[in-house]
This record gives sequence, C-alpha cells and structure tokens, in this order.
Amino acid sequence: MSIMTYNGGSIVAMTGKNCVAIACDKRFGIQGTALADNFQKIFQVGSHMYVGLPGLATDTQTVYQKIRFRQNLYELKENRKMSPKVLLAMISNMLYERRFGPYFVEPMVVGLDPETAEPIIGNMDLIGCVNQPSDFVVGGPCSDQLYGMCETLWEPNLEPDDLFETIAQALVNACERNAVSGWGAVVYIIEQDKVTVRHVKTRMD
Amino acid sequence: MALLEMCGIQDVLKNKTEDNFLSDMKYLTANFDNQMHLSLPPFANPAEDLGLFNKDEFGRPINFHFEHGTTCLGFKYNNGVVLAVDSRATGGNYIGSGSMKKIVEINDYLLGTLAGGAADCVYWDRVLAKQCRLYELRNGERISVAAASKLMCNMAYNYKGTGLSMGMMIAGWDKRGPQLYYVDSDGQRIKGNVFSVGSGSVFAFGVLDTGYHWNLTDEEAHQLARKSIYHATYRDFASGGLIRVYRITQDGWVHLSTEDCKDIHYEFEEKKQQARMAS
Amino acid sequence: MCTIEAVTGPNVPCHYINHVLFKLFFSPSGKLVQIEYALAAVEAGAPSVGIKASNGIVLATEKKQKTILFEDCIHKVEPITDYIGMVYSGMGPDYRLLVKKARKIAQQYKLVYQENIPTQQLVQRVAAIMQEYTQSGGVRPFGVSLLICGWDNKRPYLYQCDPSGAYFAWKATAMGRNYVNGKTFLEKRYSEDLELDDAVHTAILTLKEGFEGQMTAENIEIGIADENGFRRLDVATVRDHLSNIPQSVHTAILTLKEGFEGQMTAENIEIGIADENGFRRLDVATVRDHLSNIPQ
Repeated sequence: MSIMTYNGGSIVAMTGKNCVAIACDKRFGIQGTALADNFQKIFQVGSHMYVGLPGLATDTQTVYQKIRFRQNLYELKENRKMSPKVLLAMISNMLYERRFGPYFVEPMVVGLDPETAEPIIGNMDLIGCVNQPSDFVVGGPCSDQLYGMCETLWEPNLEPDDLFETIAQALVNACERNAVSGWGAVVYIIEQDKVTVRHVKTRMD
Repeated sequence: MALLEMCGIQDVLKNKTEDNFLSDMKYLTANFDNQMHLSLPPFANPAEDLGLFNKDEFGRPINFHFEHGTTCLGFKYNNGVVLAVDSRATGGNYIGSGSMKKIVEINDYLLGTLAGGAADCVYWDRVLAKQCRLYELRNGERISVAAASKLMCNMAYNYKGTGLSMGMMIAGWDKRGPQLYYVDSDGQRIKGNVFSVGSGSVFAFGVLDTGYHWNLTDEEAHQLARKSIYHATYRDFASGGLIRVYRITQDGWVHLSTEDCKDIHYEFEEKKQQARMAS
Repeated sequence: MCTIEAVTGPNVPCHYINHVLFKLFFSPSGKLVQIEYALAAVEAGAPSVGIKASNGIVLATEKKQKTILFEDCIHKVEPITDYIGMVYSGMGPDYRLLVKKARKIAQQYKLVYQENIPTQQLVQRVAAIMQEYTQSGGVRPFGVSLLICGWDNKRPYLYQCDPSGAYFAWKATAMGRNYVNGKTFLEKRYSEDLELDDAVHTAILTLKEGFEGQMTAENIEIGIADENGFRRLDVATVRDHLSNIPQSVHTAILTLKEGFEGQMTAENIEIGIADENGFRRLDVATVRDHLSNIPQ
C-alpha cells in the first residue's frame, strides 16, 4: 500500500458561477482499519479561501500548520490578506523545499479572488507542481473515480445549489468505489456573501 | 525454412502427426474432461516464482489483484448452523463490486463461503459441487460434510505451493447433525463451532465471541451473525456492501436475509440515539 | 565583496572582523556618530528629487560629469523591478550594492509568491539591510540615501531610505546637496493633482535650484513610474522636457520685458500656455518661478 493511501481520504473542488466548492470525506484509518469519522482535511485560511490537504494524515496536519505559519507572517508583514493565487504559489514553494524528502500531501486551494471575486481552484503534487484548471480538481486515493464523476457531472456556471448537488454526488459516488475513502462527507460552498457547510450522510462501510 | 532452423523448432513440426495433434489437444484442454487437472506453470515453485514472470514491457510487475479482503463467519448452535458474509470485492483500494455473492450453494444441505482469490474459490466450489452430486448419485445418499470438506481439502493440497488462495468454510447438515469446517489452500482442514475468515474477521470475532453461546434462539443467532458482519463492514475497508445470512437446519439451508449494511448502520444509529434519549 | 555577500547577517565571521573593525557605538549624548557621518556623506552628494503625481512618480538627479572624457553609460537611476525604480544621493559604490540586493529581494519575493513585490515591502526589506549595517561588526553604514518609487496597487508610491535604516513615505522630497532649498521649493510648488508631465517639469525646476552651470539633458537623469511600469528617460526625452515650456515661456517673458515700464512681478503679468493637456492660465506662484529663472 502506498504511503499516500496509508490513512485514506479524498478531496474534490469545483468552480461554479461566482462561487466555488470544496468537499472531502471524513475517514481516518490506518491502512485497512477505519479509526475515526471526523477527520478534518479541509481548513479555512481566509474569509473566502480554503485549503484541502489529502494524503498522509500526519503531514496533513503538519503542512496545515506550516501554511498558517507562513501565511500569518505574510499577512502581518504586508498588512493585507493573502489571495488564493499567492497562497498557491507559496505552498508550492514550501513543498519544493522538501524536494528530496517530501510531505505526503497533495494540497488543494479554493477561493474567490479578493479583487475580482473570480472563482479560483488549484492543486499540486506533493513536491509543488501547480495545476490551475478552470473546472475542477481532485485529490486522494479515489482521484481516478473522482475524475470520472466530475467529467460526467460538472458543467460551467453552476449556481451554488446545483454546485452543491454536483460536488456532493461526485464525492459520495466516487468514495463508494474506494475502500479507503468515505465514512461521511462534508461540503463547503463559498459565495461572495456567505460560506455554507453541509455534512452529507454516506454509506459507512 | 531458415527461420525455423534458427528458432530450432523444425524437429517439432516434423513430428507433427494426427495422433500428436490429438494428444496436444488433450494436453491443452485438460480441464475439459478433468476439472482437477490444471495446466501447470513451466517452472518450479510457482507460488513465488510466478511473480518473476509477470512483468510488463517496462519491467514493472503486473499485479494480480486477487480479492483478498472479506468477512465471513459461521457458527454452530443448538438449532443448526448460521453462515453470514459481506459482499465487497476489492482489488487494492478499488471496490470492484459491492454485491458479490460469497456464499456458494453446493447443494440443498451444503453451503460454502468464499475468501481469498475469488476465481480460485468459485472454481473449486464448482468442482466440489460436481463431486458431491456424483457422490450422491453413486451412493444414493448425500455426502457428509466431513467428506465434502475432505474432498476440497485434498484438491487444495494437490495444488499446494502453486499459489492458490482460498480460505473457506463448508457448512451443512448431515446424519451427524450440524457441521462446520474450515478449509484453506494450504491444505488445512479444521472442524469447529465458531469460525470467522477474512480481513474483517478480527472485528467480527469481537462481536461474535461476546454474544455467542450454544443455546441461542434462531432469532438471536440471526441477529448475532448480521451484527457481527455489520461491525466488520464498519471498520474493515475490504468488507462492505450487502450482508447475507443463511441458516442450515435438518431441512437444508434457508436464506434468512440480504440487507445493505448502510441500512443496518442507520438502524443501529437510531437505536443508539433512542437509548441516549431514554437515559 | 563576496565575503560581505555571504555574511549580511549579524554573525560576521571573526577573521573578517580582524581585518576591518569599524566602531559604531553610542556617543555619550545618545547619538550614533557614524550614522551622522553617513548622513553628512549624503548631504554632500549630488541632489536628487522625487515627486509623486496623480498618475505616476518621477525621480530626477543631477549627474555632473567632471570631464567630457566620461562615457555616458553608467546610470544613477536604476530599475529594480518592472514597476519599481531607485535613485540615490551619496556614495555610488554603496548604492550599487543596494541596487543588487534590492533586485535580489524583489526576485526572491516573486519566486515565492508569483507576484510582483509591493513597493512598500521592498522598501521595508532594503531598509532592514541598511539597519543591519548600523549594528553589525566589521561593517559601516551605507553612505547613501535612497529614493524608491513604484507603481502597484493601482497607485504611485514614493519612499526615502536613510543610512540609519529609517524610511519615509513622501509626496515629494529632495535629498543631497542643497536639499533644504529643494524641499522648500517643492513645498511651494507641490499640489495633489499634479500630472506626471508637470511633475517632471517641477522635478527639473527643483534640481535647477542651486544647479551650478548650464543644465543639459546629459547632466541630469530622470526616471518615471506609472501604470506602464518604471523606465529611465533617454537623453532625447529629457532634452524635450528641458526645452519644453520653460524655454518658450522664457522667451515670451523676455519679449514682454522689452519696453516694460517699472519692475516686472508675478502680479503684473499674466501667462497662459497650451499643450497636449489643454490650455491653462499659470498661477501667480508658477509665474514667479518663471520670472526667477530669468537672469536679470
């Protein structure tokens, strides 16, 4: 079993019309054995900005703390909030620092640009190669299945409610084909004036 | 013909006669006539060495994704034998099926459970079913569970070291009452009262051992079996899907239930919730 | 130079200290005299001016050549990024080290954040380096004050960095020789809604305060930053600015003076000019400036 799937857990993010969504499952396991159904892999790092960290659970937590460390320094030093694009660049830079002994996470950033309110999603591999598509990004052990679901369900300019339905279906159904993902799911819909968090019931096997 | 010489196969062709053709046919289609005769790999110690040959053009190993994870359980009690299984089939982390049938109905009085390589289990259960039926026809009475499991055990032993992967329970009712055997591809055969097999067996045992005693009622036995499998599907990543429960009595096997473990989960959740409210 | 590169932090290796040791301690009156000496070096240096306009910023400096044998290829106004530029008063070699460090800071920022460094961040970090040189062993403070201008966040910025590491944000300022007069002049001339071209004009006039000899396109240097970025003006453009309005206004005033009865003052003449920005009547202060530029 690969180290990237040691603890399981998958994340998906999508753009909509003036909104973005990010969703993850809640499983935390050690290889085959599920241990917790409330593991946090998505973190709020700004009023309209979230970061998802699928991969090895210990690194999920460490990398989150390192991101906060650098982000806080930036925000104090520059007296302004970080934008999703800058966050993406910064995390990429941070991961490449460990090029020869990487953290086993594939970070994902979603948010609305503070200037233009344009929806932004992006992810990278474990040593920081950034990918910034306009539709969706996936990560974790069931990314293959997530790609299949997203390619089928996603369409441009989804309204927040439709985006929720789309991303939740994509995640839940992808996780049902993956043995180390699932055990509940949580969806964040980020709009200009509000962020909606919804917990989704799933199969528990 | 120069190519034939270079390859060194001209002698082979020269000897090709009609007779040889038939014997080749027989050799190449051995299990048409005798299902217990599999063509063997052309090298020693296949269980280990097969892996050396399974490489793709880049030298990466080709993995046979055997279905290894599962949870099966069976126990004898006062009134018969209960078997219960999950239905998930995995290859690595991928869930190939959520509704696989892991109980094989060998005949009306005999059931087998599958764990390990799916193909191995299914094939050899089919061969066993054939043998059992032949026994019945030849002897005018049903085969005992002891004999059936011994047949399976012998067949497995014949191929020991070739890499077969099976861990099955064979359960039934015969002249001597309820019977339960565990047989695996190492050639092991054990008679017992309580078994659980597969990656989720540790979780199933936890529940099963707590609730098990000889004098269970039929309903208690059914509930214990389904609850044990449910807890295995909950914790074990390679177990899940539908939970099937069978009971074997002197009248043969009956299928008690097939439920989605999701429904069982939320049923139990609700019960927990009610208990919390009550206290 | 290489050793300094490697040890910009406070931990300067011992062998370096053994060779050169500058004393930088508080004097009994609580002053750091080395820094005051550095400021004196700045005040003795060539003047430079920075003015923020509504749509850009201008930097200008005097670049007197001691002999005509100098080739005109070493510049005082330097770009740091596409949107930030810098000029100095004081010691040239010290300036070039700071230019190098500033450029490196800017590129490092861009590497990490994939975004241009904001002017304020650059100033802060350059100032931090200048401060470090007031407190480290084996080094002396920089003998320069910097003017750093930049366009970001859709607006202009202008900062001054001193040898002490102190930095200031200005609407307009002058440094170097005769800076007090320069500042006084700017206080009179500055207005918030200055256009960039007017600011260039004002900067030239400020430099003219106390300029010894004839000002030409060759002995001053001008850089401007606006929404299109920072650039140093080439000699031809500077010449255009020099010869622009002042010359013709000059001629007009001189013509008017022919046969003028009594003393000509800003109050008893009126001047109007038209250019690409349209027609406007000059205010009394501007007219007075023009008058004062005419040799009696």
